[in-house]
Amino acid sequence: MSQITRGWLAFAAIGAGVIHLALVINAPLPLAVVLGLLGIAEFGWGVMVLSRDRVVVPRLARAGAIVPMIAWSLMVVTATVLGAPFLASIFNFVPMAVASLFELFIAGYLSVQLRRDPQVDGGKTPKRAPAAGLYLIGMFAGALLVAALTTPALAYTQAGIDNPHAGHGGAGTTEETDYNFDLSGHAGH
Amino acid sequence: MTRSPNRLLATIFGAVYLLIGVLGFTVTANTGFFSTQGGLLLGIFEVNIFHNVAHLLIGAALLIAGLSSVRAAKTVNTVVGAAYLLLGIVGLFITGTDFNILALNVPDHVLHFGSAVILLGVGLGADKSTRAAVA
Repeated sequence: MSQITRGWLAFAAIGAGVIHLALVINAPLPLAVVLGLLGIAEFGWGVMVLSRDRVVVPRLARAGAIVPMIAWSLMVVTATVLGAPFLASIFNFVPMAVASLFELFIAGYLSVQLRRDPQVDGGKTPKRAPAAGLYLIGMFAGALLVAALTTPALAYTQAGIDNPHAGHGGAGTTEETDYNFDLSGHAGH
Repeated sequence: MTRSPNRLLATIFGAVYLLIGVLGFTVTANTGFFSTQGGLLLGIFEVNIFHNVAHLLIGAALLIAGLSSVRAAKTVNTVVGAAYLLLGIVGLFITGTDFNILALNVPDHVLHFGSAVILLGVGLGADKSTRAAVA
């Protein structure tokens, strides 16, 4: 696995981890504990993948990416079948969907790699590092995508909903363009 | 320098942040140092004078580290990346409150998250074998 791809996997894990940690704020206590542990595990895994030259515990990471997706899907399906919207409304859709997108990428990519090589890259024969410029372009693209997806997702968590946001009028310097999310219509989700 | 992703990134980001810091002063003439309502840089990113100063300091630190050594660049990239990640998260809570002394808005958060991810990613992930070398 190339250094750039490993970076993307780590970025996706960090993005999912930060979103899950932000969802802790408004979750019922048992779910908050699960989300907190999941978020810490994802964030920690992402940092470990970056700091070591290999994908650590790939099978566990794949399972850890798939299980939350399935659990959330089941929750949404159950809520639909039973006509119990409160079940689905425990979590906001946008942050969970974005986190699931990151998890899907991790699970999908690790599945392909595990099929090719059961050890993934194992750190035994690391590929030659790409040229610095190419590496930075790859990392920049991944970082931009993760940031562009993570930030709106975080704005839809309770952290984003709780504060009214600046920019609605004010000192006269930001009146023309309001770049703050207006989530007043989404607070009930 | 061009062989080390950390030095290259620190130099580029340092120069860009210095430029942003300087340009920021063109839109903050009517704002206070810690004003929660700033001017819009490039019509997008909200900044106040404190925000500009922070950009200048971060840009200078990154540029100096990038021009110095791989170890310095790697360290500064990681530290600034972690700080930006923290700011990206904390910023979501303080936007719209009196604690928003950096006049942060949503595009700022995206920029901070993006900077955090790439600085942390390269700081932690690249130049392991040449940690102490001066490329």
